[in-house]
Amino acid sequence: MMDLGQTVAEVAPFRAKRSVSASVSNAMPDALYWATQMSAVSVQRDRVSFMRIYDHFAPRLQRYLRNLGVADGVADELVQEALLTLWRKAHLFDPARAGLGTWLFRVARNLYIDHVRQEPHWLPVQEGLDRLDHAECDRRDSQPESFIDQDLLKQAIDRLPPMQAKLVRMCYLESKSHSVISAELDMPLGSVKSSLRRAFAKLQGSMRAQR
Amino acid sequence: MKPTHHLDDATLLSYSSGALPAALAVVASTHLECCAACRAHLLDADQIGGMLMQQQRVDAPAHAAREVMLALLDAEPAIQQAAPPPDIVEEHDLDRLPSALHPWFGHSMRALRWRRVAPGVQRIRATGIGGGDLMLLRIAPGSKLPLHSHGGSELTVILDGAYDDMLGHFGPGDVADLDSGVHHQPVTSPGLPCICVAATDAPLVFSGWIARTLQPLFGF
Repeated sequence: MMDLGQTVAEVAPFRAKRSVSASVSNAMPDALYWATQMSAVSVQRDRVSFMRIYDHFAPRLQRYLRNLGVADGVADELVQEALLTLWRKAHLFDPARAGLGTWLFRVARNLYIDHVRQEPHWLPVQEGLDRLDHAECDRRDSQPESFIDQDLLKQAIDRLPPMQAKLVRMCYLESKSHSVISAELDMPLGSVKSSLRRAFAKLQGSMRAQR
Repeated sequence: MKPTHHLDDATLLSYSSGALPAALAVVASTHLECCAACRAHLLDADQIGGMLMQQQRVDAPAHAAREVMLALLDAEPAIQQAAPPPDIVEEHDLDRLPSALHPWFGHSMRALRWRRVAPGVQRIRATGIGGGDLMLLRIAPGSKLPLHSHGGSELTVILDGAYDDMLGHFGPGDVADLDSGVHHQPVTSPGLPCICVAATDAPLVFSGWIARTLQPLFGF
């Protein structure tokens, strides 16, 4: 009980600060902000920074998992596990490769495939691919340009034609295969793929524009 | 091994979102292991997923949930465990199958136990994969497959040997990620058998090129 009391006292100043900015809680802090928080978690094991990350991402990860059809209780556990993974592996986060949102999306998606879809081989394969990319970066001794402008990608998503936007959301937020999307929308498989391809090209263009 | 035929962006989106049926995902992973270009595209796709996840409007987390999270941190050991050393992979070990295939077919190409399914065609089917159908195929050198098109989703990656069709030359690491409606007629190269891993997303209806090729011969 003592421990818990101390913990609350520790985060109290942060919570006070947070309530001031409550009106912008849906605003997205930039990549540099998250890189700084992650560095504090990794180097100083800073719980205040960790809880800043938690406060922003936990509800979004929870919503994401629930949209995929994960039951509430399981979604809560997976969110906790994703954030614990962040706490344990903060030193592996490389802001030059991808933003924190992307990193956490990968973690949550992998947990979903592992726990909910019960594909035990997915996780080791993803870890293997990750190691290849790290090795690649080391070998080239150069990093891909960091900090893609999140606003430009966001705007590009908002500007997608309605059908492309719908397909991208069915793909990511409902995790539906091309065949399922094709059947549900009564749309030929080839059209589903070509629409997704066009959407990807546009979004990728927005990310590459600043590189 | 630097592939010249890559994954379709639509397939990468599906892989990134976790929606690609398991059998197709194994074949896509096989290509990703040897293709830095597709891994870079995958990262772009993951950024889209990350943004869509963040764009959702949500409420602040409940006080109780924050307390649970903090209690979980208390239970964590203070010292981080060192990361396990990365696998050391012999890059030129020709006998080694790609990692993504290990759970389904083992590690060694030589140790595979092929089953003849038609003249010049041997096959091993993966068992117990949930989504779709996954198989290894070994096709004799210089074989000409009948003209065919693709039904549902089908992915093929060449592991050894090669074939040519109207779309070009497919060698080790190359992926054939073809749209339905593409008619082609692969001819395996002389010399070595063409060994590939193929997946379809339809576990019961065999509609892909390999199936169509073999169906009349074998009736499976």
